[in-house]
Amino acid sequence: MKTLTIMIVFPLLLLSLVTICPAASSTEESVPVPEAAVQSPGSQVPGNLHEQDGTSGGAATKNEVKAPVDEPIDDNEMTGEEGPRIADPFAPTNRIMFEVNDRLYFWILKPVTQAYAHIPEDFRVVFSNIYDNLKAPGRAINNLLQLRLKGAGNELLRFVINSFVGVGGMGDAARDAFGIKKQEADFGQTLGRYGFDHGFYLVWPVLGPSSLRDTVGRAGDHFLHPLTYVHHEDLSTTASVGISVHERVNDASFRMGDYESFKEAAIDPYTAMRDAFVQHRKKKVQESLQD
Amino acid sequence: MRILKIMLRTYIVGALLMLGLTFPVTAFAGLPIDTVRGHSDKVLEVLRDPSLKPESAKQLRKDKLRAISEKMFDFTELSKRTLAQNWKNLNPGQQQEFVELFKTLLGDTYADKILSYTDEKIVFNKEVSLTEKTVEVHSTVMRKTAEVPIIYRVILKDGVWRVYDVVVEGVSLTNNYRTQFREILSNKPPESLLETLRKKVGKSEQGSKK
Repeated sequence: MKTLTIMIVFPLLLLSLVTICPAASSTEESVPVPEAAVQSPGSQVPGNLHEQDGTSGGAATKNEVKAPVDEPIDDNEMTGEEGPRIADPFAPTNRIMFEVNDRLYFWILKPVTQAYAHIPEDFRVVFSNIYDNLKAPGRAINNLLQLRLKGAGNELLRFVINSFVGVGGMGDAARDAFGIKKQEADFGQTLGRYGFDHGFYLVWPVLGPSSLRDTVGRAGDHFLHPLTYVHHEDLSTTASVGISVHERVNDASFRMGDYESFKEAAIDPYTAMRDAFVQHRKKKVQESLQD
Repeated sequence: MRILKIMLRTYIVGALLMLGLTFPVTAFAGLPIDTVRGHSDKVLEVLRDPSLKPESAKQLRKDKLRAISEKMFDFTELSKRTLAQNWKNLNPGQQQEFVELFKTLLGDTYADKILSYTDEKIVFNKEVSLTEKTVEVHSTVMRKTAEVPIIYRVILKDGVWRVYDVVVEGVSLTNNYRTQFREILSNKPPESLLETLRKKVGKSEQGSKK
């Protein structure tokens, strides 16, 4: 009886295993990776819904997880791998702005940052923490708007812990002592999550690459920043500009050489920057949708 | 109930058998994550080697890095995926030259950029399989004030896992170059793209000799 069952059941099961889930069996078993199967549901979210054009970018490769795997990989025609694109009706002026920012970097930001970087790193990290902590309320609200409740809660907790235990955000006690990790979220991303497209590409002087959507996002984030609500008598315009400049320089001191190597690697830096911007922002929106 | 138990057992045995059939092929190549980590460690070793730090040792360091990247990357696959549909518009000779030029450009600049995080810790988090022969290896570079996620996309060919794309903060290397090349190729012949690359590579070669 037992052997009979096995004789009948076993081939049937084997058959069903092969026929019903060929994709599953080959993706999960051919590559002996435990995490692979765990991660795939997240990456199956169609992420290109809200981006410029329908052709999928990095998402295309990710979505292949659920697709049949017998695709000829050696085939030269990787037609499905188009990255996200963005309309650039103001390309001529954007290119000029790109050049302006390029000069600003090499003539001002870089020399200033180089001098500034003589300040010991530990101090610069403290400044970086303070500035970052001020952005926590904005992150919390955006996480909330994006329905990423855990992220929202974490950011709120981080703000409270770092403001008090970390004395005004000087240290990241929330991460170091409590293991609460930062969860980035911005208003442009929130808009993207709810289906707003970039509109078109924009390069702002000083601020750099953006889009119509992300410009609105930036304005939104400005209103979520605590310093926006400090009274003029307490914080003059000059002082607040000074703070922004210091924040920028302090931040740049941790990425010295990045822009140079980016430019050196690019064939057309303007296009490379625009594409990097779109890809990066698309990932942010995808992350929000996957959470 | 007993039947159920037997069914379950046979199912497991069947699954294991299936696993056994497919396992040896990939097991032979090792885990993608180990392969990438191995290369990454070697690169860091070179970058951190004090005897290779001085300006005079720059060429030697570059040669060493190139030797590693040669093993780490599948430059042909990378080139094909970067040019996508445009790949077949190049004749075999042009294709070969493109791969060589692109390899030099990436070796000199992009590799330097990715791996310039010398004093930061790199953590290899996990693997995510894309297709039967392609896997994503997820890593994080711990910088002082931020964590930079870097994903290596690797492909299995001839029993070896090689990188065909690197994704930094969501920005895919091949996608980024594809956009740039597409703009050039949209109104110019392949030869003109090669000329641009030759100039670019020549310039960075000169720059490195300075």
